Amino acid sequence: MTGPKKVLIVPCSGIGKSYGTVSREAAYQVVEDDRPGQTRIVPLALLVMDDEETRQLLKENQAITIDGCKLACATKMVAESGGEVAKDFAVLDVFRRNRDFKPSGIAELNEGGKKLADALAKEIDAEVDNLIQKGGQDA
Amino acid sequence: MPELPQKKVGIIACSGEEIPEGLVSRLAALKVLEKQRPGDTVTICLPLFLAGGEGDRAFAKFYPTIAIDGCEKRCAYRGTEKYSNTPAASIVITDLIKENGLEAPKGLRRLNEAGQQAVDLAAAQIAEQVDKLLGKKWSRKDGQFNEPEPQEEVVATCSCGSGIPIQKLQVNGSEMTLVALPLIFEKFRAENKMPGEDVTREMMEMVKVYNFIKSSQEEELLSAVGKEYERYCEKQEDKA
Amino acid sequence: MPEFLETTVDKFTFKVATDRYYSEQGIWALKAGKVIRIGLSDYLQQRSGDIAFADVQPAGTQLEVDGAVAEIETIKVDTTVASPVSGSIVTINPKMELEPEVINQDPYGEGWLCEIEPANWEADLEKLLEPKAYFIVMKAEAEEEAKNL
Repeated sequence: MTGPKKVLIVPCSGIGKSYGTVSREAAYQVVEDDRPGQTRIVPLALLVMDDEETRQLLKENQAITIDGCKLACATKMVAESGGEVAKDFAVLDVFRRNRDFKPSGIAELNEGGKKLADALAKEIDAEVDNLIQKGGQDA
Repeated sequence: MPELPQKKVGIIACSGEEIPEGLVSRLAALKVLEKQRPGDTVTICLPLFLAGGEGDRAFAKFYPTIAIDGCEKRCAYRGTEKYSNTPAASIVITDLIKENGLEAPKGLRRLNEAGQQAVDLAAAQIAEQVDKLLGKKWSRKDGQFNEPEPQEEVVATCSCGSGIPIQKLQVNGSEMTLVALPLIFEKFRAENKMPGEDVTREMMEMVKVYNFIKSSQEEELLSAVGKEYERYCEKQEDKA
Repeated sequence: MPEFLETTVDKFTFKVATDRYYSEQGIWALKAGKVIRIGLSDYLQQRSGDIAFADVQPAGTQLEVDGAVAEIETIKVDTTVASPVSGSIVTINPKMELEPEVINQDPYGEGWLCEIEPANWEADLEKLLEPKAYFIVMKAEAEEEAKNL
């Protein structure tokens, strides 16, 4: 067992578009600010390399994935690593629900991107609460 | 119509979100991709090797790549090697920090000053590697790219399995092997560019993308390439 | 399933379906019975990026050639799609409202924008490019863009 149960957040790691940055910013907001102690980030790179500790984490905890584009690497990688994708978020869909928050910038997000990341983080928070309530997981 | 790729360098950053060095790897890669060498580099997404990014995998197999890793796990380097091809160069941020006596970076979303220093240093090294891989050297004195450094002449074979054809030419009594020359001829012919001095000079610019040519050899090679292209066009006419 | 002409620039592969015509902007036009179906070429959709919104003019809208038929919004661009033909919009692809990403996923199939009853198809056709001609235009544009990054 790799510690108390947490909800794993797996963000897109792409640096070709703003959506990747929005995905990571939202993930950090959830893990560092909104739901610390109940969540943990899992880097995609470790899944690509089939890291043993990461595999074990996925076996023992549910995952929320955040995909930056239609190729959906985060969702695919978690599924292929034997993990359970409790919920997948696509940044594009969240943008569609928040049309005013148009993101731009990759190294640094614009105001629209920061607001979009915040909106996405809040949706993820709600899902984390839902999963924890359902599973009775320890913080 | 033959596909003749423009030579570029692929940049693969580990992007490890759990450590500050992962952010350093990302920001250093972006600095090179967006500001320092935008026309010479392409970003390659590591997870796409497994998630269906055929273009990324093929690119990394065919073009030189630089792996930028945050830590000794070296996911970018090992992942590229495993699923596509061995990167031509590698930078590990933790090693870079140690070798240069920098303080450890802090921050997963915003880097501290030490982290920014690491980004600048890493970006400079990546840009230098890009130039080496593209055969260019920057002169601070002249404020422009120098002649490429003399390199060992290697037998120009398709070492990455890319299938780029080669052709041998006699240049001033010596045999010279030129990568991609048959494809270059095909491309020019398809574009109806007939043999002539202007066309040959234009052709030479493309030859130099794929082959290191010493400046002392250029004029003789120009003549040899021009004559060979003339022969090639005559053969094509005969076939037609 | 149409056949394709293909080219690769950097890590991107662009396809041109050989069973339809193209405007220079990269909008394809395919005769489907009495209507002309239109959509974005593979190059145009890739260059635009992931499509967040595709707002197509309503059915009944009268169009001239190059008239605005749709607005495409991505995080990279806001593009006005110019109609390759003149006529009247009869059907809008129902997926455009909630699933415009289908333009990215299947630009020559499920990702069509709308169908137009043509006013003068034969005349409009003369201004459009055959697939091979569009392929050359598209390839040059793609290579130029890759060089000028």
